[in-house]
Amino acid sequence: MTKWTDLQSASFLESNARDRALGLVDEGSFTEFCGPMDRRPSPHLGVLGDAVEYDDGVVTGVGRIGETPVFVISQEGRFIGGAVGEVHGAKIVNTVRLAIEMLDAMVAKNPDTPEAHKPIVVFSFETGGVRLHEANAGLLAHAEFMDQVQKARGKVPVIAVIGSKVGCFGGMGFVAAAMDAIVMSEFGRLGLTGPEVIEQEMGREEFDSSDRGLVFRTTGAKHKYIMGDCNFLVKDSVAAFRAQIADLAVLPIADFEAMRRIGSEAAVDKQLALVALAVELQPKDSLDVWAHAGNEAPAELNDAPYEEFIAKAQRLAV
Amino acid sequence: MALNQLNFSIENASPTVALGEAFHLGVVGSGDLEMIIESKEQGGAVSFQILSPVTGFDDLWKRVADAFVRESGLGNAHIEINDNNATPAVVMLRLRQALAEATAR
Amino acid sequence: MEDIETLVGRGREAIDFIVDADSFEENTVGALTFDDPEFGPGAVCGTATLNGATVTVIANDAMAMNEKFPVVYGGIIGMEEGYKMAKSVYASITADADKDLADKRAIVLVVDTPGNGPGKVEEIFGMNKSTGAYQLALAEARLKGHPIVAMVIGRAISGAFLCHGLQADHILSLDANFGTMIHVMPLTSISRIIRKDLETLQALSTGNPVFAAGPRFFYELGGVQELVTEISGMRDCITKHIAEIRTAKAEGREDDLGPWGRGKLGKERGGRVVRDEVMALMNEQFAAVADQYTAS
Repeated sequence: MTKWTDLQSASFLESNARDRALGLVDEGSFTEFCGPMDRRPSPHLGVLGDAVEYDDGVVTGVGRIGETPVFVISQEGRFIGGAVGEVHGAKIVNTVRLAIEMLDAMVAKNPDTPEAHKPIVVFSFETGGVRLHEANAGLLAHAEFMDQVQKARGKVPVIAVIGSKVGCFGGMGFVAAAMDAIVMSEFGRLGLTGPEVIEQEMGREEFDSSDRGLVFRTTGAKHKYIMGDCNFLVKDSVAAFRAQIADLAVLPIADFEAMRRIGSEAAVDKQLALVALAVELQPKDSLDVWAHAGNEAPAELNDAPYEEFIAKAQRLAV
Repeated sequence: MALNQLNFSIENASPTVALGEAFHLGVVGSGDLEMIIESKEQGGAVSFQILSPVTGFDDLWKRVADAFVRESGLGNAHIEINDNNATPAVVMLRLRQALAEATAR
Repeated sequence: MEDIETLVGRGREAIDFIVDADSFEENTVGALTFDDPEFGPGAVCGTATLNGATVTVIANDAMAMNEKFPVVYGGIIGMEEGYKMAKSVYASITADADKDLADKRAIVLVVDTPGNGPGKVEEIFGMNKSTGAYQLALAEARLKGHPIVAMVIGRAISGAFLCHGLQADHILSLDANFGTMIHVMPLTSISRIIRKDLETLQALSTGNPVFAAGPRFFYELGGVQELVTEISGMRDCITKHIAEIRTAKAEGREDDLGPWGRGKLGKERGGRVVRDEVMALMNEQFAAVADQYTAS
């Protein structure tokens, strides 16, 4: 196991799910729930003759950043693409549920509990959504998670972290969008429909799914940052994600409402203005939208290293 | 169609290495595996439980396990492996890593 | 009515089978009106009465095509459609904001949708936000006391079903002999992608509903509350479930409703039992350490 101090400088992209979870919270503070030692693999994979993992591809538990309890969910993309089945789904749903229950108990005991003592949830996504081997259970778990996100509103901030290889797609793409704040590294990708399906639907001339650059420009973190779909763009290290979460951990819950892109009628009206813009612009490429946002040389900006990008990028006024 | 489960023990009459607390390592990615390695008093033997989608390589698993036990001197241990098509070289590598971590603790 | 074999693709007709005769007024929910007929045409949103009580109705129109977004046709929920549906829900909440729990209008979702808009512009602007926005609106309305019933009359497929259906308090479905489809993917496609032969999957699905397609399997998993066996039975069944939901809400039994309630139902019906075991283990593990994480 990598030492905590070494984890901090490690690439978030290259780290595995457990190291990400351990590194996001204070040293030695993480308690895992339903971990490998509990041996709760999916009962549905073995009968199909497919490999199982004792944690079913997701690390869940609680740690601390300073005085803040931090409930962590960290998906492992190397295990069946981080897909959500019954056990995996139950783990992610119940983690948010536990955080809400903790908050309720705290506030019942002491209505003046300081903000920094109240729990937060951090979800590191690495998934394409539903696991087809147990598709129905995975689908139902997605709905349960959305329900918990709404139940956490005004109580427990739920923060999305996306900096993994697989990114965050399928049903989990809208789960992430529904969260309070989204933190991405430039290697993160967020969307709903995978590139192959878009190609199939629109034709290769419109969308060539083998064009890596195009795929990245369409759903990559830099684009999401300019669109306002991710709130914070950080460098690819565990420490950088951790620092951003630490900043967020102490904020009053009310501050998160302003970071949301959806979840209220006012937010929906703003998004509808963007949809109208989509009709008006008819973008062939995400860079058309970057240009509209005031970025004069979008292709160069797209290639710029992190610091330069952050310094220069004009974000779309929403 | 179900996963192939393999259970066997490698005898070790004079173990030179013993384990501390149970330890988990690895990710069940393609071509990789996870394992739990823990101490178990059983007259020196190291017992293995392997779950793998691959069938027909039972002897190979035993040979790798045997080589590992001889090389390491490990005894009185139980090792569980969830495999996803790892090669013998990867299996050996992970066994060594797990032992190094487990004895360093 | 007796000779109708399927309502697939016929969302507008389905509304007429459900609500009071001639009561459906499209494009009006509370103070909200949709005045542009080209806005989100794949979503049919409006107000009707059901046994005299005001209900919001949200349905898919499989015959419509959104000229502005060419991937949106055949009941697909596009960006405009998702936000239009979300606005209809918020308008329902606002209209009844001052009303007692017992008087909050029900929301009836008539479900026949094959997917979310799968296009390039959709990804550039964030289709995930539109479908997410609608789900959050439904969850909010449900938690604020509006009874929400989803009635599957045709296709309830994967992410589109998550969007339009799976946030309801109760989900009802016409039985499979009416051509209703509830699944993430047909078994034939699953078989191809996970590389297992179809016969094996079919054989396994008889004993395990977690990957099989169809309303009956979803019933076993707790994903469908009740199967409706006659088209003419939809109206009464929805009415009955609205009443049951109102009672549960009045008694504070929120955990018996919505997605969490379907988890409980899945355990009762034996289709999803591991979920509960895993959650119980986590609860026990957290309880053992909770004090360590509570600052004094």
